[in-house]
Amino acid sequence: MGGVGTLHRGTRPCPPAFDPLRGPIPQAEGEESQHPIALMDFLGFLITQCLNALSQAALLFFLGVGLTLIFGIMRIVNFAHGAFFMLGAYVGYTAVHLTGSFWAALVFAPVAVGLVGAAFELGILRRLYRRDGSAFLMVTFGLTLILGEAIRLVWGVAALEVPSPQSLSGIVFILDEPFPVYRLFLAGAGVVVALAIWQFLERTRLGLLIRATSQNAEMVHALGTDVRLVRSAVFGIGCGLAGIGGVFAAPLVTASLGMAPNAVIDTFVIVIIGGMGSFPGSLIGALLVAFVQVFGTYYFPDLAMAFMYLIMLAVLVVRPGGLLGKEA
Amino acid sequence: MDRSSPLARRLLLGGATLAVAAPAVLRHARGETPIRIGMPVAMTGPGGEIGLQMRHGAEFWAKQQNAKNGLLGRQIEIVAQDTGGDPATCVRKAQEVVERDGCRLLFGMTLSSEALAVVPKLAEWNAIFVSSDNGDGRLTGSSFVPNFFRANISGPMETRVISLWLRKSEFKNFYALGMDYAWGHNSIGVFEDEVKKANKTFLGAVYSPIGTKDFSTYITKIRQSGADACFLVLQGDDNNAFLSQAHEYRLPDKVQLLTSIVDLNSIHAVGDASLGLAGSTRYVFTIDTPSNKDFVAEWRKEYATEPDVFEGEQYQACQILQAGVEAAQSIDAEKLRPALEKVAIDSIKGHVAMRECDHQAVQGGYMVKVERPAGAKAPLPQIIATFPGDAITPACRQMTFDS
Repeated sequence: MGGVGTLHRGTRPCPPAFDPLRGPIPQAEGEESQHPIALMDFLGFLITQCLNALSQAALLFFLGVGLTLIFGIMRIVNFAHGAFFMLGAYVGYTAVHLTGSFWAALVFAPVAVGLVGAAFELGILRRLYRRDGSAFLMVTFGLTLILGEAIRLVWGVAALEVPSPQSLSGIVFILDEPFPVYRLFLAGAGVVVALAIWQFLERTRLGLLIRATSQNAEMVHALGTDVRLVRSAVFGIGCGLAGIGGVFAAPLVTASLGMAPNAVIDTFVIVIIGGMGSFPGSLIGALLVAFVQVFGTYYFPDLAMAFMYLIMLAVLVVRPGGLLGKEA
Repeated sequence: MDRSSPLARRLLLGGATLAVAAPAVLRHARGETPIRIGMPVAMTGPGGEIGLQMRHGAEFWAKQQNAKNGLLGRQIEIVAQDTGGDPATCVRKAQEVVERDGCRLLFGMTLSSEALAVVPKLAEWNAIFVSSDNGDGRLTGSSFVPNFFRANISGPMETRVISLWLRKSEFKNFYALGMDYAWGHNSIGVFEDEVKKANKTFLGAVYSPIGTKDFSTYITKIRQSGADACFLVLQGDDNNAFLSQAHEYRLPDKVQLLTSIVDLNSIHAVGDASLGLAGSTRYVFTIDTPSNKDFVAEWRKEYATEPDVFEGEQYQACQILQAGVEAAQSIDAEKLRPALEKVAIDSIKGHVAMRECDHQAVQGGYMVKVERPAGAKAPLPQIIATFPGDAITPACRQMTFDS
């Protein structure tokens, strides 16, 4: 069915009747033969929407996993996470324009954002660990404001274009439904990063230390490991992951000052659904939110805004600590 | 000598002070204090980008005039205050510039909700407000006050331009996507009416929550609607995200995207994803009038860029105010009001005439399409149709059109 460049047909999965839109449609066969076409259309719709949800889940996962790693180790909620996401997009913009390569931006931006995060931990957060939780809320919220203003001063108020790489800017047809290559790539990148983090936590020495520290920091310290270094590293890695998310999101939403407040709310919802501090929890939270968002918005657009919060509410009622949270 | 020395010194000091202060003192004695124009405007928050453009446009005009001996021989001073786009703050800031800074002329009030909150106070303040961007039809309709003048195209006029254009266009089936709040619902309501009046089909509409980042589901719905054109009522980040993603899905290959406002900021932000977008615009720097060519040339010299929609609209508002003040030879509201009511000039946008009955400036409407002319580095809005002022202006104090 139809290749690149042909005029594709639209679909109407609900009710599952085939509706010719534009262009000639082969209607020679009888009525019975319309059903397979309708079914194929519905299948195409289903696959593309699932891929959409996966690509969204990838973006949400980059945000959520960083926040949850930081919480797991440090027991602090990083309000500045959205600002690091935004910083990733802006640094990515500059890297793309300096080097002309999206791939360079994908390496440079997370490293730069991670270093800013680690420096913040070393310079400021480290002095506050003896204080109660509200100190971290204030400080990280303050950092959000500072980063936002700094970005406004450096890059200006106008939204900035970050084009997706030429090799990924095409579309493929999936059962006649057009689908952007870039989103396929996003979904793939989400899988790769999730596997990489999992392997990192399970197989490497730093991963082992991170897991140990999240369970019993004092014991790790007593065994001769500098827990403070582990904390700095984790804060840097978490911010770097938010930075990757920012670069990946930029071609879809442009780099703009509205990114931070938008992102931080989504991230909190995902982490609360998955369970604070749980790596697989953030993955499940991201997938759940993305799928419900995509299909919910399609069938009940009036409730688009409510879905994410409804899932959160349901999870909190059933499992107050989140799906995979420790308190549950 | 010993006794005269302090006296001499005092005289010298006094003389020097007088010499330094004399021009100012003399100007003051002749009534030549600067003309201060209050500008409570959203520089942050919703509408911040628009507000900054308005301020930019007004300050450019003031600088130009000040270099040419000002207005009525007095320097112009723009007193800008950030309202954050909040009506209550806007009223407070407006009161401040009137009472503390002594402004009797007002610009600004970025959002219509801000303007609607301020206009009832104008009589009490004895101040004239010349709007450069408020779209709400009520300001020259049910909420009309004598000290309010609308120099810009109103919302109903903007929609009228699109509807007149679509009557002539080849498109038959329309769908709409709007932001899920009053502006989106109102604009799409008006658009639906216009589609029906043009004997074409309105297939339906979908509304996205403010701050939506992923539009893939909405793009799917637009494609499945079977429409050949889709009307968009989106702004800011939402608009940029939608255009980027619609381009990703090649939606413009199949559906003509129409929008209520085509602005340069958005075109710069999304680049090629804006190609093919059509819509009415309040101002575009490619308008072919001698006055606009001069304006754009001087703007380029100053800022090395082109003036955007609200910079141009603000400049026209300044030209209208200037014509009124020069005719009245005064900024006093009682003298200025009748003079402003009779203003008819060739502004940067072409001929514009203030209407006495509702203080709406009657002016031409432009329909543009974003294209990349040969040799251009970036996409540009090109004028594809122009409509005369009397065809797009509703009857006095009305917001709708009979036909």
